[in-house]
Amino acid sequence: MKTTKIKLAAILLVVMAVGVSFTALNKITVKGSDTMVILSQKWAEVYMQKHPGASIQVTGGGSGVGLAALINGSTDIANSSRPIKATEVEKLKARYSTLGVEIPCAKDGLSVYLNKANGVSELTIKQIGLIFAGKITNWKQVGGVDANIRLYGRESSSGTFAFFKDNVVKTDYSPSCQTLPGTAAIVNAVKKDKLGIGYGGAAYAEGVKDCKVKKDDKSPGVYPTAETIKNKTYPISRYLYMYLKSRPTGETKAFVDWILSAEGQKLVVETGYFPVK
Amino acid sequence: MKKILFAVLVMTSVFSNAQDVKSDTIKAVSVDSLQTTTVDSVKTATIESLKESLDEHSMKFSGLEERLATMDGDLAKLTKIKFSGYLQAQYEMYNFQDNIGPGPSTTAVPIKNTFFIRRARVKLTYEPITGAVFVIQPDYAFDKVTLRDAYVQVNDRWIQTFKLFLGQFNRTSYEVEFSSRSRELLERSRMSGILYPQERDLGAKIEMDLQTKYEIPFKFQLAVFNGNYGEGSLTNNLRDVDNKKDVMMRGVYSFTFPSQGLGIDIGAHTYLGNTAVLQAGTFSDVNNNNFTAKVGDSFQKRWFGGEMRVYYDFLGGMSLKGEYISGQISGEKSTTLLPVANSNPSFNFNGIRDFTGYYATLVKNIGKSNQLAVRYDSWDPNRHLAGNAVTIKEDLKYDNWSFSWQYFYDDNVKIVAGYSLPINEKSTTVGGDYIKDKLDNTFTIRIQAGF
Repeated sequence: MKTTKIKLAAILLVVMAVGVSFTALNKITVKGSDTMVILSQKWAEVYMQKHPGASIQVTGGGSGVGLAALINGSTDIANSSRPIKATEVEKLKARYSTLGVEIPCAKDGLSVYLNKANGVSELTIKQIGLIFAGKITNWKQVGGVDANIRLYGRESSSGTFAFFKDNVVKTDYSPSCQTLPGTAAIVNAVKKDKLGIGYGGAAYAEGVKDCKVKKDDKSPGVYPTAETIKNKTYPISRYLYMYLKSRPTGETKAFVDWILSAEGQKLVVETGYFPVK
Repeated sequence: MKKILFAVLVMTSVFSNAQDVKSDTIKAVSVDSLQTTTVDSVKTATIESLKESLDEHSMKFSGLEERLATMDGDLAKLTKIKFSGYLQAQYEMYNFQDNIGPGPSTTAVPIKNTFFIRRARVKLTYEPITGAVFVIQPDYAFDKVTLRDAYVQVNDRWIQTFKLFLGQFNRTSYEVEFSSRSRELLERSRMSGILYPQERDLGAKIEMDLQTKYEIPFKFQLAVFNGNYGEGSLTNNLRDVDNKKDVMMRGVYSFTFPSQGLGIDIGAHTYLGNTAVLQAGTFSDVNNNNFTAKVGDSFQKRWFGGEMRVYYDFLGGMSLKGEYISGQISGEKSTTLLPVANSNPSFNFNGIRDFTGYYATLVKNIGKSNQLAVRYDSWDPNRHLAGNAVTIKEDLKYDNWSFSWQYFYDDNVKIVAGYSLPINEKSTTVGGDYIKDKLDNTFTIRIQAGF
């Protein structure tokens, strides 16, 4: 009799816990990539206007921070400007028994910013890599004035930092590269510094000039535009992702579906990025 | 009349003022020269003072810059040091306490419950340059501090595929390498505890990961160990007790099917080692028949295992993890030599045994904060004998059910309730407690805090 009661209580407890855990509030938290924060805020703002019951909170912090928050359960969606790493997937496996869900939600050309007064206007990917690795240190070496190059980059938690390192620098960044907490700060620094060079999302390039990027010595220089990113002639482009720990349900699914709809993708273009479809 | 008086007063004041100017000792100068001199002098004074002020501020800024650069350098060094750690405090209730604990006797006054610090670890990682890592991890038990991990890791910077480890680290088995802070159940399976005592060993390991550079989800590990860590007293963990090194290899391939939310890891591992006889005597073979061995004889210690893990995105995530290992294990317990060698504290015997072990674990996430897990594990130390044919308790087969409920309180704290039910093989030949299933179930409430 006593055992039956205990069993019944245990079953009831399990059912209650399962029930409570699925009674999710309508609040969705989004955290991560600073590159995506404006776009994500725009999505949230417009979506909440159209769906008054929904509550979406967007914060930045960097792709690494967003993915760490996803793994430890403190955000529903992690924005990332780089693909998730194998080590991060292993952590999702360990914590949630899932591989995570990757949703490419926009495309971005990664601009190389130059001061408007800089005589240099195009560089090969190799030259850009050597500049940020600290191997080319004078503008004279790439056809500019005889003056030292000043580097501006992102902090290591940034997906842009990681993407640029993996695809352009291909080694460690130069120790003289000044790290700044956001793409806007990099643009601002290059705007004020005639000898500066920085990198970041194409959408942020205001008050600076985009450097034409050449695949190699023989290729023509290409600006990051909708056309060149779409036809893949601009060599430094990437996807922007949203990551979830498991396949979305309820309000989160509705929000993600809306982002991928024509309406959500229209905001991508308006914000200065490029649609995935 | 008033008007006349007012006019007189005004005129008097004008005259008196005119008198003051006349009586002034300053020589009259021309307006032009006066203006030039005055303006120039003002200009000179202002520029000089500005220059002085600027110089002063420049020096101050230079000083600050210098200090900032020094602080920046110091801070950069500090960011290369990472601290992490966790503490597991728990309350246990059990039917039987297996000759452990503070009391002089566990039979006269049976102990049925206790508070206990299971683990208290701090991990220090120092990465002075990218790809070179130093790791040290002590475990602070209430009566002693033991060194768990202490190794140097060097990543290859050319093809970003290989990692070399040297020092003391986990043996290359899935269950061993899966950190106890992340594990779904309170303890590892009995099989892992016996095959890999203390989980670690001293040696070198090369790890190849084709994922980062080539996007091929294959990982391979090759390790060479002393082969006696965690056996006998801690003193014999300092050096190898024989010249022979034990070798481990493990490979894992991960399949992913993103549209189905499915991932499958399949792998295999092997342990190829030996037990050197350090003191001649009587040993028993795989059928428990006695034989004599002399000093220097070598018994095999080698096994092969298969592993599979399935991750499925079903209602928030679930996984099924399993491992099967079979082979030959050997050891000696009656040696009186110091340090005591080859004596497995979890499984003492004098001889060679063919064993089989496996486990299957089912894990289900419930919402964001809860997780349920159940595991069935089995350990048969002597697969040639069963039931009453088993004559010593070390040869009895054990099956074990383990259950746990984890509640993730926040990013750093989780609360776990667990229950384990070991079921031993019955043997009237062994006798004692083992003529039936021994009462040795344990219920545990654990709080784990990590940072």
